[in-house]
Amino acid sequence: MHPAPTRSRAVVLALLACLVTACGAGAAPVTGVAVPDGAVSIGLQFAPRSGLAIDTDDAFVLTQLGAVETLVAVDGERRPQPGLATQWTQTEPTTWRFTLRPGVTFHDGTPLTAEAVVGALTYLTGVAAPPRAIAGAALTAEADGDAVLVRTADPDPILPLRLSAPGTAILAPSAYAGDGPPSVVGTGTGLLRITEADAAQGITLERFEQYWGERARVASVTARFLTDPTARALAFRAGDVDIVLGLPEPAVLELQSTPDVEVQTVPTPRTASLYLNGSAPPFSDVRVRRAVALAVDRTALAEQALAGSGLPASEIFGPAVPWGGTGPVPPHDPAAAADLLAQAGFGPDNPVTVRLWTYANRPELPTLATAVQAMLSGAGITAEIQIGEYAAQEPELLAGRYDMMVLSRNLLTDLPDAAGVLSSDYSCSGTYNLNRFCSPEFDALVAGLVEVPDPAARQDTFARAARLLEAESVGVPLVHTVDSSATRGVTGFVPDPAGRVLVTSELARTG
Amino acid sequence: MPGTPVRRLLPLPLVLLVASALVFLLPRASGLDTTRTVLRSRIADSVPDPAAAERVTRELGLDGPLWQQYLLWLGSALRGDLGLSFSTRTAVLPQLGAALGVSALLTTLALLLAGLVGIPAGVAAARRPGGPVDRAVSALSVLGATVPEFILAPLLVLVFAVALPLLPAAGWGGAAAAVLPVVTLALFPAALAAQLTRAETADVLGTLHIAAARARGMSERRLLWVHAARRSLTSVTALSGMFFAGLLGGSVVVEVVFAVPGLGRLLYDAVLAQDLPMVQGGLLVLLTIAVLTTVGTELVQLAIDPLARRAVR
Repeated sequence: MHPAPTRSRAVVLALLACLVTACGAGAAPVTGVAVPDGAVSIGLQFAPRSGLAIDTDDAFVLTQLGAVETLVAVDGERRPQPGLATQWTQTEPTTWRFTLRPGVTFHDGTPLTAEAVVGALTYLTGVAAPPRAIAGAALTAEADGDAVLVRTADPDPILPLRLSAPGTAILAPSAYAGDGPPSVVGTGTGLLRITEADAAQGITLERFEQYWGERARVASVTARFLTDPTARALAFRAGDVDIVLGLPEPAVLELQSTPDVEVQTVPTPRTASLYLNGSAPPFSDVRVRRAVALAVDRTALAEQALAGSGLPASEIFGPAVPWGGTGPVPPHDPAAAADLLAQAGFGPDNPVTVRLWTYANRPELPTLATAVQAMLSGAGITAEIQIGEYAAQEPELLAGRYDMMVLSRNLLTDLPDAAGVLSSDYSCSGTYNLNRFCSPEFDALVAGLVEVPDPAARQDTFARAARLLEAESVGVPLVHTVDSSATRGVTGFVPDPAGRVLVTSELARTG
Repeated sequence: MPGTPVRRLLPLPLVLLVASALVFLLPRASGLDTTRTVLRSRIADSVPDPAAAERVTRELGLDGPLWQQYLLWLGSALRGDLGLSFSTRTAVLPQLGAALGVSALLTTLALLLAGLVGIPAGVAAARRPGGPVDRAVSALSVLGATVPEFILAPLLVLVFAVALPLLPAAGWGGAAAAVLPVVTLALFPAALAAQLTRAETADVLGTLHIAAARARGMSERRLLWVHAARRSLTSVTALSGMFFAGLLGGSVVVEVVFAVPGLGRLLYDAVLAQDLPMVQGGLLVLLTIAVLTTVGTELVQLAIDPLARRAVR
């Protein structure tokens, strides 16, 4: 009689059987009906880099989780909407008056007042590196009854949009009392209140019952920073988190066929492009740039090289923004490319030989570079790939000492307005003009935006500028990045292409 | 030997002083522009505003000559102040302390597990060299020493968190969350401990004094565990000392895969972000621990190994 070994064998057999049949993957039967006061956990792909300081890009995660709010919100069309301010008017060319929403309470129980807003904005303008959206605006704020007067050094037609940037979120006066960066625990105004924040692990939040808007359906949310893509996907598969963002492509394919799991994919404002140094031969000749554009098969890059984890780009702006290119993807025509090269004086006896740079910080870039190299080869262009560190490459890029570069760039970060990126990346005096493009016509178009406060008119100008760049083959936009997320056991989760909103009042756990 | 610990500790201040200069200079040799890197981690601007860069340089204390920066940092460090993190703008020491606590627990548990598994396995293998147990232990220890953590960790998660939902896939807090990181971290030292114990125990079992003891009628069990295995503890202890210091800051893969807020991950992120005070403080703490661990290990060896004691005398 050896009962213990028999039991052990039984347990081992049961475990093996479980492994083979993946018994753990089977969840309890779900009804799909929202349950009140549920708890939801989210696996985030990025961890805070600056200790959740509100004046840094860490403010994004606080906004996404519904903990903090800005004076101005933005809608799906990237246009300003009432936030903590209900209306605003430009009283003078350099002064805007923001009327505050009545009845707003901070998470610490104190009311939102003009003085509190002035204090928050004054703090932001005083830090060594103010949030990108208001940097250089020389912004000052002054209380004016139930409103705040915000002044800028120069007339600023998009100040409301600037004050929609997550970094300009308003915290309670108590947040600014300490020596270090403002505390974000229990000092916001959003629908959820932060109860615990650990920049290394995650954030826990609970429903804020005194929220001025629609009450959250969930009672609590736990956000966990899972920076490793495989670990993030595994945590979702293991049921540790209900929502996971930034899924790697293999996990997307697998989860799409998993019962009870919903996979959603949205385009992001990030575009991977082939930058061409237009200040020196051969790319100073527009015919050679056009030949490169014709030689590259953008659809194949998105669908084959990246296995669907990108969308083929027709212009620098994609479907993530309302003014993004919606036309067909430019044709792939190696024969026409070879003709253009011949017109420019290149051919078998005088081939185009260039260095193709990229960097490995974003794993898709070397893949794209290799595919582009093969496509260029088909048109008679020899590109020698050099993969380096972006930090080391940047001085060379800025100085115009390169030939071509596959680079990924987020064209819209916190400000839903493209004037800044168009000016810095493509104007003659642009500080990040890697293509070394200079066109008086383009500069005049972008400079004219200073006089245009209407968001629709501005977006129309952005689209025209993008088309102009495409016509001049100023670089070759290759693919727009997409972001994939998966949910299980929740409802009301709608991925935001702008990446600003993650938790809304509609988010709920299902039974 | 009351003087031995003192003798071992005497050179420590000089060692740490040299180390402090190295840890101060080393992160600066990366060639990265610290101000630009810090500025970009705060606000990811493609080309930072020069005025903001100048203000940040001043705020970080990088505007003075290098020797002045070193002396200021050293003076503060001697007073127990490792400065403010460039990234979080909060004190470095509490952040290091919290991460060190996590890593110390993780490492201690992993080494304990490694010893509990590796030493008996090695002794069992040494009993019958070439026998089935020896061959099995040998094969498993080779496997354990060669499977990298970045493969083992997801495999363990797949089995014990996904297929058999017994343990959490990632995170820290609570005994269950510690199991998979500890097992992953323990595998390599356990394999080495098994191989080392097996080799040393087999050697000792072949010596004359063991044969004499056996002739005196001492039981095989007592021979094995009291006389033979005890000798191998010296090597295993020395190995543990080296592993302890190494794993404290070097278990980055495990900490990233299991989202453990340990020292390795903290320092890895700090290096990428050019968070010099955090890197310098972390390296200084690790070096101090490494030196103390080496001395401590030596003292433990003296306590358990009569041969070593005689050599010191």
